[in-house]
Amino acid sequence: MIQLDNVTKEYRLKNGQVKSILRNLSIELPERNIAILGRNGMGKSTLLRMIAGIEDPDNGQIITKKRLSWPIGFRGSFHSELTGLENVKFVARIYGQDTDRIVEYVEEFAEIGAFFREPYKTYSSGMGARLAFGLSMAINFDVYLIDELMSVGDAQFQKKSKATFHGKLSGSKIIMVSHSMDALRDYCDCGIVIHNGTVLFSDSLEDAISTYEAINK
Amino acid sequence: MSALIVNIRVILALLLREARIRHGRSRIGYSWSIIEPVLLISALTTIFSLVSGQSASVPDFAIFFATGVLPYQYFRNSSQFISAAFEQNRPLFNYPLVKPMDAIFARVVLEFATNVFVMALVLSFQIYVLGADPPSDYAQLLLIILLITCFSFAAGLNLALGKRQFASVGNIYMILMGPSFFLSCVFYSLSSLPSNFRDILVWNPLVHVVEGFRGAYFPDYQMQDVDLMYVVWWTVVLAFFGVLRERVEKRKEI
Repeated sequence: MIQLDNVTKEYRLKNGQVKSILRNLSIELPERNIAILGRNGMGKSTLLRMIAGIEDPDNGQIITKKRLSWPIGFRGSFHSELTGLENVKFVARIYGQDTDRIVEYVEEFAEIGAFFREPYKTYSSGMGARLAFGLSMAINFDVYLIDELMSVGDAQFQKKSKATFHGKLSGSKIIMVSHSMDALRDYCDCGIVIHNGTVLFSDSLEDAISTYEAINK
Repeated sequence: MSALIVNIRVILALLLREARIRHGRSRIGYSWSIIEPVLLISALTTIFSLVSGQSASVPDFAIFFATGVLPYQYFRNSSQFISAAFEQNRPLFNYPLVKPMDAIFARVVLEFATNVFVMALVLSFQIYVLGADPPSDYAQLLLIILLITCFSFAAGLNLALGKRQFASVGNIYMILMGPSFFLSCVFYSLSSLPSNFRDILVWNPLVHVVEGFRGAYFPDYQMQDVDLMYVVWWTVVLAFFGVLRERVEKRKEI
């Protein structure tokens, strides 16, 4: 589903040290729900961002024909002076969606009432999260990318979010970064462990988790 | 082909967003784009007609300053606005479809539309209310406006890239642009200067932009030392290095 071809990525630290995230990695990610595991700073998020196309690798390429989402629940793009509605419209336009349909969907999903038409700066953190999650669910993607799925809102809203997301999985796949094994077990059926510039793919999630736990000892 | 459609779609979405938030929380918002040049032109007109004591020629002063302030402000404001395209849109690059150059182009288009509108408004006022003569050469005027557009794009792109590496590039530009108001023929003509001043000022591309604008507006305007090709070269060289650098770095500022 996603082909990584000889991908290299490194970071230059301020002290001149070079930190290697990936070295000449070639791997074909299968059309399944994939967990990405690794210790802090090993480059899980960077890998996810490269898959998403947010960052380019230093070398090599990442090829896919699938429609990939932005990291689910991302809300850093919401402008404080714009209303929730305007912020939603902007993203709908970027993705060439029917703006009216998206706006309607998010308004209903987020359940933030009249705040939907108020500037984003007046939102509580929970309301922002609801808006962002609703927006992520409003557009259909082949693959949803998740960097630490955070539970949003009260129990009732969480239940609804989970149900909606599971509903998406009948037609779509996910790639998920998380430190919570429970969350990964909830959604993923295979995994890759990223460690010191190399990547190990495991056909079963439990194998990936044991590899990760062995590294973590 | 479909990549181009995505590009255009993203630029349009950014354009609408930028238009909405261009002037931040300010209540008067967008109208500031008109108020600023009007204030400047009025101030210059008042000062110079008081100093010269020729109150009868106020409209002449007004149109002369308008044809200086409008092109000068277009370049200054838009190059500055474009130079902040990366830092101010940083979070948006988390949407994989939004590329850094889209943010630059959205600002170029917005500034073009805004400034053409402001110019039309200010000049119409001068023509229909103050009785100034209309432009003598519309085609030439449009050409100059397009040249300013390209020049401010090229300058803005290089500044944006420079700022990404050294934040102080923005401050240095502000310092440079400070005295430029006095050195760009905004409120005097190049031909009115002694030749030793002229020889220095012709190195400033903005002199040619402003005087070129006047040359297109007024018939028989003195243009001996004005060379628009000089501005074209600035634009071509800056645009070439800017686009090349962006390609090579192909990095998103996040």
